[in-house]
Amino acid sequence: MSGQFRARNQVAIVGYAQSQVVRRSDELLGITAIKTALDAIKDAGLTPGQIDGFLSSSLLPTSGDHRSRDGYSVVSSDWLAPRLGASPRYIAGFQGKGQITGSFEAATNALAAGAADYVLLHRALYNPPGKYNNNPMTSAGGDAQWVAPQGFFGALPAISMAYNEYMQRYGASREAMAHLVVEARKNGARQPWSYWAGKPITVADYMAGELINDPMSKLDCDIPVQAVGAYVLTTADRAKDLPNKPVYISGYANAYPEHSLSLHWTLDEMMRAGADIGKRLWESTGFSPADIDAPQFYDGFSPFIYFWLESLGFCPVGEAHRFVLDGGINSDDPKSFAVLSGGGAIGNGRLHGLPQLLECYLQLSGRAAERQRKASVGLMTYSAPHFGGGGVVFTNDPS
Amino acid sequence: MSGRPLPIPDEQSQPFWTASAKHVLTLPRCSNCQKFSFPPDIVCPQCHTLEPAFEFQPVASGGKVRTWTVIRQSFLSGFETPFVLVDVELDAQAGLRMIGQLLDGPSAPLKVGDRVEVAFEDLAPGTSVPGFKLVKSS
Ligand SMILES: [Zn+2]
Repeated sequence: MSGQFRARNQVAIVGYAQSQVVRRSDELLGITAIKTALDAIKDAGLTPGQIDGFLSSSLLPTSGDHRSRDGYSVVSSDWLAPRLGASPRYIAGFQGKGQITGSFEAATNALAAGAADYVLLHRALYNPPGKYNNNPMTSAGGDAQWVAPQGFFGALPAISMAYNEYMQRYGASREAMAHLVVEARKNGARQPWSYWAGKPITVADYMAGELINDPMSKLDCDIPVQAVGAYVLTTADRAKDLPNKPVYISGYANAYPEHSLSLHWTLDEMMRAGADIGKRLWESTGFSPADIDAPQFYDGFSPFIYFWLESLGFCPVGEAHRFVLDGGINSDDPKSFAVLSGGGAIGNGRLHGLPQLLECYLQLSGRAAERQRKASVGLMTYSAPHFGGGGVVFTNDPS
Repeated sequence: MSGRPLPIPDEQSQPFWTASAKHVLTLPRCSNCQKFSFPPDIVCPQCHTLEPAFEFQPVASGGKVRTWTVIRQSFLSGFETPFVLVDVELDAQAGLRMIGQLLDGPSAPLKVGDRVEVAFEDLAPGTSVPGFKLVKSS
């Protein structure tokens, strides 16, 4: 059985829109989603009546005590499609872990299969009132009983422990991570739509950051925000007639979690999953790591960048912190491997992979303006490798 | 009462919490493959039997520190910060890891591989949760 993606370069992104990223908004999330979707459709040179497929994932990613309501705190495709005046023949929602890659891949599959001709993919992120992740539980049943009574709860302690394991094992310093976070904030500061627009930080700012869960401070985490991103995808033959340079999907690969204690994420498990994604990614796409010149790796928590760089084979295991410290990801160097040239999540806000998708698209469609680099093959990754982690490879040269 | 979240035992977990109340660490063992997994699942993650009939067996209380974090801000209520969470590989089975509080406090020096032993915190009458204490090397 060949691992090659049968629909390689047969589906393309043809338009996009990214809303302003705000901490909270007076505008209802559903309204922002409608406006952003209409902008994306217009950008693609299409009208809402032509969109016949809808894909999304509508998870509200918080461990806090918040309820979801469609149109208010989440936006599903079922909610959005009729409000755009579209008459879709295909609507689906992605339910698993790996929301943006999972829904994007499903959109690609739907087009490749002929289930739709033009698909709108969107992701809407909401920042609920009150503390984002705080949970006032006084008793813990089900899965939580094994961890919450000990004080282990939420993603941050889990990531902090995996990162500490990395630091202890490879002698990584907080100074190296300072350079990574400064790079993310530098590039986010250059995005007019970013929450952190015009607000870069320095290495000294990072080093002065108060630790929340050692060795991580607030600056190692993305900030909860409200924003929407939307993309229009179609088949390669239809893409040719549209105004923007198409960016083709060459293939993708995902990993799924090993069985483990809920949120007990070990470094070894993440690295195994990442290596597995890498192996299947190159089989799927026919590319190799050396071909990738527009990499955008997920950074919802800063150490993920190390784990992706190493597990996918862009750095020897244990070396990513030195690579970063030596300027290896500095987007101002045309020869660098600029995994955060779009600013990522740390530089823009908690957008669950949208910045990675956006920057791959902008670089490959030649629409990155003053941030434009020489780019022909892009790779976005999302999540922690083992936690529904996924990678999608794009190219602007389908020949 | 500490104000910390208290475990709600269910049909499967009751033996674990009953033993914990007596300061005995038990772990769920699959009756098919005899391997421990923690926490217990619906199926055995090791041999995939649909009827693992997990039995909670008392186990050796030693282990070694794989990693740790100092929690300076907790998302849960009732915890006095800072406190230390340690990720411990238990002697009971290679690769079997459990997370608990390090009861020696946040200023105890720690390194990967340090030996620890299970120790219990009494949170409420009849409710104790397992944590760990450093074993002083002699
Ligand atoms: Zn078994």
